Amino acid sequence: MEPLDNQQNQPDAIDPALWRGMTQRRFTRRQTLSLSGVGLASLILAACGSPSASKSSAKVVGSSSWWQAQKLNHVVNFANWPYYIDLLSGKHPTLEHFTSTTGIKVNYFEVIQDNASFYQKIRPSLAAGQYTGYDIVVMTNNNPQLGYLIELGWLIPLDQSMMTNYDKYAGPLIKSPTWDPGNKYTMAWQSGWTAVGYNNQQVKDPGTSIEILFDKKYAGKVGMLSDPFELGSIGLLAVGVEPAASTESDWAKAAKKLKQQKSDGIVAAYYDQSYIQHLKNGDITVSMCYSGDIFQADLNNKYKDLTLLLPEEGAMLWTDNMCIPKYSQNPLDAMTLMDYFYDPEVQSVVEYYNDYICPVPAAKQQLLNPTGWNKAALASMNSSVGLPTAVTADSTIVFPSPERIKASKSYYNFKSQAEIDAWNNMFLPIIQGA
Amino acid sequence: MSSPPRRHGAWRRGLAPYLLSLPAGLWLALLFVVPLLIMLSITLKTCSPASGACVMTWQWGELPHVVNQYRGQFVTSLIFAFVATLLDLVISFPIAYWIAFYGGRRKNFFLIMLLVPFFVSFIIRTLVWEFILSNNGVVLTFLRGNHLVPSGFHVLGTGLAVVAGLAYNYLPFTALPLYVALERIDRRVLNAANDLYATRSVTFVRVILPLAIPGIFAAFLLTFIPAFGDYVNQEILGGTSNTMIGTVIQNLFLIDSDYAGGASLSAVLLVISLLGIWLYARLLGSRTIEDYL
Repeated sequence: MEPLDNQQNQPDAIDPALWRGMTQRRFTRRQTLSLSGVGLASLILAACGSPSASKSSAKVVGSSSWWQAQKLNHVVNFANWPYYIDLLSGKHPTLEHFTSTTGIKVNYFEVIQDNASFYQKIRPSLAAGQYTGYDIVVMTNNNPQLGYLIELGWLIPLDQSMMTNYDKYAGPLIKSPTWDPGNKYTMAWQSGWTAVGYNNQQVKDPGTSIEILFDKKYAGKVGMLSDPFELGSIGLLAVGVEPAASTESDWAKAAKKLKQQKSDGIVAAYYDQSYIQHLKNGDITVSMCYSGDIFQADLNNKYKDLTLLLPEEGAMLWTDNMCIPKYSQNPLDAMTLMDYFYDPEVQSVVEYYNDYICPVPAAKQQLLNPTGWNKAALASMNSSVGLPTAVTADSTIVFPSPERIKASKSYYNFKSQAEIDAWNNMFLPIIQGA
Repeated sequence: MSSPPRRHGAWRRGLAPYLLSLPAGLWLALLFVVPLLIMLSITLKTCSPASGACVMTWQWGELPHVVNQYRGQFVTSLIFAFVATLLDLVISFPIAYWIAFYGGRRKNFFLIMLLVPFFVSFIIRTLVWEFILSNNGVVLTFLRGNHLVPSGFHVLGTGLAVVAGLAYNYLPFTALPLYVALERIDRRVLNAANDLYATRSVTFVRVILPLAIPGIFAAFLLTFIPAFGDYVNQEILGGTSNTMIGTVIQNLFLIDSDYAGGASLSAVLLVISLLGIWLYARLLGSRTIEDYL
């Protein structure tokens, strides 16, 4: 019984709140633990390691003594979303520079297509107490998966003493965010808006409203996103409700509006990341979109037709967050790399390529007047990016103006699994309906 | 004390078939029956979307709930798979017939020609269709440019695109069993029909077609069953009003973490498929099915 009781104070223990609402049955703590791989794994660990654990706190993953015991392995496995980091003839200049200065090799994997399915991929390893294969993963704050990882104790608390660049340069937009107060587990990779993109050749009077997505003029030519949290939030904006302050009855109103939009034949399809290809191909003329995609497409002369609209009702602001999954084999290397990206010189190179909202405001100056190694890197990327660095620096999409920030809306912050289920029950049938 | 040698031998002989089928039996039990039972048991469990852990709660409500919720998608899948299978039969029968009866020495060459496109991955072929049929793609640009279709005409996102994709992707599953059935028809039977003054069309209807029935049925099953559960074509070529049950199952498992719901729908899908096979066995005997697999 001893290890079982200890379990209550372990970070591994599952928050019962997560179990609430998914079943009518009540679970005892013992049942809950025995049911989950984490519970089992940590039970075994606790049983084996309890004598030494009582001697030192070095066993508590993420504690400062634990961090001190870590050593550099000179390799880090980084899982990120596609087209999200500087690219020059098949290589990533920022990562190359990192390796040359620190001697840490970065294996960069563009394997995350959406939060839910990536979470499904790493979950079995985490539940079994094994290394996921990645030391850094990037999860969005607008989906429940980042919350699951934190609640289940599946993230390693960051070494706050290693966040020197972060403390100095992180912008107010992403510092100590509501989803991770004090940056205990995460550091932002980039942020962006979910807004409206349209083809300016076919849409002559876009207006300023989100209503363009519901306009019968574009019946069969409107793309919506298949992520229920994106779709629902846009629905809420369309019925004039702040998503962050919404209630279940607001969700029903939004769902009704979205159902109407679908039954009127306005929606062509509910897309994942592929919407941008369909917008380029002309299958759709108006679409829900991610801000950086439109900006990137726009830079390429072939797709000058695409324009980003940040509607007057507001645009959803999300943030992708770097975090270190539990059982990471190279946490110190991961920590080093994460803080490296908060160096304005480094961030200027990332931003020159990807055009999302920059987490480091000081990168703007570095784009205008590069002072270090980034000068050569930016110059060499110039021909492939195809525009002067000043354009990126002056873009209010990359370095948002105060008005832009004010017009940004936050996602609803789910308080329980029951709320997530209720949300899904409203919006999933729209996406998956016959 | 010791049994007579003859009886011992008989006992061994009686055991032999069981021993011989043991490896296959174990294989089937371990890799097919056990996973199937696990899947069925999941329909009665409650799973946490966060940790993925499932607990047996004996809730019998999930199956009727999801079947009711996704009735429409089942119907869509049935219709799409049925129409696609019929299309395949109509398209591949003449091909199979021609190769079987007029292919001559080059039969194998023609068969390979039929199969070559299918050496390319299923997903890639479907993605290429998406590219070809897109609004600014080659085909529609040409048709619109010559005013052969109205300016708002589109193919992607429609049920038609999904059915066409299904029919295209499953064509070999129809053509090959048909070919096997037609190829096996004894030519002397046709000569006999000719000798008895049957015209070519009468020979076709009263001799060839009845002899090809097992092949047609096998072709139907081999096409219909995978098409019924398919989700790739609908995901890539379909739109909002033609979601198939395979897409729903995939989403329930991979996106929503609703394992009980996904397992329930899979079980229903399996039962419908088994009904088809049972029907085949009842009507045409179970012996013929392995000839086509």
